[in-house]
Amino acid sequence: MTQVERRDQKPEPKEEPQEKKTKVTRRDFLVGAGSLVVGGVIGGVVGVQVAPQAPPVEEAAPEAPAEEEAVSPYKAGYTLVFDPYQCTGCMLCAVACAEKYSKELFPEETKNMVNLEFARIRPMRFQYVDVVNVCTYCQLEEWAEGSSNFPCAEVCPEDAILTIPEGEGKEGYYGMGYKWIDRDKCLGADKCWRCAEICEDQFASGISFDPIEKKAQVCSRCGGDPECVKVCPEPMALQWVPASRNGRFFANQPTAYAELLYRKMYNKRREL
Amino acid sequence: MADFYGMTGKIARVDLTSGNIDVIEPGEEIYRKYLGGSALGAYFLMKEGIADPGIQPLAPENLWQVMIGPVTGAAPNPRSVVVTKSPYNFFCATTCGGNAPAELKYAGWDGIQVVGKASKPVYLAVNNENIEIRDASHVWGMGVEEAEMVLKKEVLAELESREGMIRDADLTPEWAEMRPPKRLGMGQKRLAHVWLIGPSGENQVWYAATMTEGARAHGRWGSGAVAGSKNLKGIVVRGTKGHMLADKETFLQLTANIQASMRNNYFWRSYGTAGIGARSAYVEDAFPIRNWQWCCWADPTVKAITGPFMDQTSFVRKSACSGCVLHCLYPIETTSEDELMDGTLSDMPDWEAMGMVGGMLGYMEMKGTTPSDPFTGNHNDQAENLAKLQFTTFLHDNYGLDFIEGGANLGLLMELRQRNLISADDLDGIDLQWGDVHAVDALLKKIVQREGVGDRLAQGTYETAKYFAELKGNPEIINYAMTAHRYGQPAHDVRSPADKNALEYVTVNRSCAHTGGGGSGFKQGDYAAAISGQNGTCATNSLSICTFASGDWGGFTLDILKAATGWNDFTEEDRNNVGAREYALSRLFDVHTQQLTDPKEQYDKQVPPRWFNDPLPTGPHKGAVAYEGNTAKLFNEDLPAYWAARGWTEDKGIPTEKTLKDLGIDDVALDIARQHL
Repeated sequence: MTQVERRDQKPEPKEEPQEKKTKVTRRDFLVGAGSLVVGGVIGGVVGVQVAPQAPPVEEAAPEAPAEEEAVSPYKAGYTLVFDPYQCTGCMLCAVACAEKYSKELFPEETKNMVNLEFARIRPMRFQYVDVVNVCTYCQLEEWAEGSSNFPCAEVCPEDAILTIPEGEGKEGYYGMGYKWIDRDKCLGADKCWRCAEICEDQFASGISFDPIEKKAQVCSRCGGDPECVKVCPEPMALQWVPASRNGRFFANQPTAYAELLYRKMYNKRREL
Repeated sequence: MADFYGMTGKIARVDLTSGNIDVIEPGEEIYRKYLGGSALGAYFLMKEGIADPGIQPLAPENLWQVMIGPVTGAAPNPRSVVVTKSPYNFFCATTCGGNAPAELKYAGWDGIQVVGKASKPVYLAVNNENIEIRDASHVWGMGVEEAEMVLKKEVLAELESREGMIRDADLTPEWAEMRPPKRLGMGQKRLAHVWLIGPSGENQVWYAATMTEGARAHGRWGSGAVAGSKNLKGIVVRGTKGHMLADKETFLQLTANIQASMRNNYFWRSYGTAGIGARSAYVEDAFPIRNWQWCCWADPTVKAITGPFMDQTSFVRKSACSGCVLHCLYPIETTSEDELMDGTLSDMPDWEAMGMVGGMLGYMEMKGTTPSDPFTGNHNDQAENLAKLQFTTFLHDNYGLDFIEGGANLGLLMELRQRNLISADDLDGIDLQWGDVHAVDALLKKIVQREGVGDRLAQGTYETAKYFAELKGNPEIINYAMTAHRYGQPAHDVRSPADKNALEYVTVNRSCAHTGGGGSGFKQGDYAAAISGQNGTCATNSLSICTFASGDWGGFTLDILKAATGWNDFTEEDRNNVGAREYALSRLFDVHTQQLTDPKEQYDKQVPPRWFNDPLPTGPHKGAVAYEGNTAKLFNEDLPAYWAARGWTEDKGIPTEKTLKDLGIDDVALDIARQHL
């Protein structure tokens, strides 16, 4: 597994920042290299393919926050990876995530409440193994499945699961092709749960619903600087690394993942 | 907004006989007096008359409660406490970590009380305010590990259990053709947490535990047997309502401070309690070896009970309770030449297990040698010895047994066998020699199933000794039961001046608990300090959080309680009084339910004679006996002085009317106290 510095310290850029021309947005790419559409929804994955000389660490976009704020150079192509040997299942990631998004979405209702249901990342405790559940950014394969979309986005009847291209989106976020739920469009779990169902049916368990409006929730990687990684107290347990491949290869349903971990860690076959 | 912060203000009360489920709302005054956890449980035992000697511990009338406290939930280090009348007929308040305590708060409850008896095996499915009594016949008889994973998947939050709505048309045609949806709907999440009993609880083995997460236990005093007597296999909790906090910002800041402190707590973060094995043997001379005949090996190369050796041999990873950074539980896989033990998946073992089902059973010495002899084996022999210990730990966990009382019971039998006071025939043909893990395995099966002699042994160490004393017409046999107040002594001795003081075990309100606190006060004869330590432990068990982290909580404890509840006028004295109340109530409970007319003679003096009669044979404190052998000083001077410092009578240790009134607990305790004053 690739290892990087802990994320509670601001990493030093390893190379001089490059000119903005090295940055290729998803839109640019899709327009400019249509025949090469293989698996590249996440802008930076594609960016690396198109411009191999692009540095692994890029300069913050001009519209990024001021310098004194903690600025992450990490962007597209990075993903969350947890190490089942290092993770203790302590739930600090889930609390940090839940606090960030409950404060953002429902500041009044959650003024006096800590509620893990707002968390997009959620460790699940099986005996002797913990599985950290978070969206892995699965992509369908165009040549086989007729789309290169996220499966959850593909089945959403309202197109409420957005991919925010690099350089766009929420202030303080880095684009980097993160997922975002358009809460105005989302019908809410009382009417529709297709995204969560297809995820649990065929991929993992990356979608949850907030407990107040019951709208879908999915990990947006905090736009490039994930809160969960910053609070994780165990070295290397939860990393934000340039995985640069289709997230579906990381995806497992929680019970399936736990069964694999029983094999890997304890040489046991268990049915859950 | 919520009426309550910190607490939810609600306790569920389930009557398994009638199937009725009620909600108890004790009100703020009660919470301020008792906080939650063990003290609140003690209050309900007294209030509901469970101290009545007519209520048999394993009868439907007994009250079984799992309680949590005001900070349990979003705070680190949550514990749950099972409070009931023990099968041994005394007060039981036994604590456990894991994720279930926080989940119960998120479901909106401060506790669950169970009375009555179901007509068939059941479990409780707690899904926020909805509590269902569900059939448990499919998991009845199953080991703890297997049953827990079955129950865990049966309780999903409402949003996690929707029917299938995806149709082929929702997919691209290529995708739908290749891999159509299963239309099973949602249901993959596993976020419920489980408390449950094993086969030993079902069969009402007196020292059955209430388990969670495979290896975590409300270990002591037989809470699992009481659940089993009610046909209650377990409780599965899923909560989505969050934890309401009066001052969330301060609460989270204090939480972060505690977590930062834990992050630097190298002791716990390296081996958990396994880190103290060698110290206890070779420095303190207080480790249980062969039913406490030794407390230290003559050859300090015996090291299978040390954290580093266990880590080098078998630790796979580490596991934390919610919000905790100490991760003191280390899952292991054993490797052994013996098929019985090879591949065992369990935990470390922790401190008490390594003593009580390790050293205690003679697992650590080479065959044919004693702890007084040099250790003749190599590292692989040590690893094989460790495997025996880990396998025996696994058996107790998976059967759902207290391995402290269990180890005391097996150790007693092995010593009786060593001294030829019993034979293999007395144990249905099992020749229980020191170090024989196969014999232990065979005997445990009998105990758990209550087959043959196992039915006798299932009543614990003291009753086992009594049984053989009568069978053999030899009253001396009782003296080999290493129990105080009829319950197995945990892996800390009182003979070495470097470990516990005998008065600590004599006075602790939960029979022979090693976690009562007040140790340094007892050693110095400063009973005010000792009492303050004991009260502090009760407050910790009422909050209810983990004592392992209490150093990291340090000065934050009161502040975090205030931030959670908004009780800004709550003082250190209020916190101390929570413990004083629990001590007074549990003392009256013990005296009343056993109808003790002379508590000192009938109960308090029931400690192992070995403490005073058998000097330590080896080690740095060779020759030491408890209390310098002066039992008269212990029971006739110091115990009364301690009782007086508590505001209890000096002859019987009964809380006086004034003490009860000062503590504000005369409403539930005065009538009973008057019968014994």
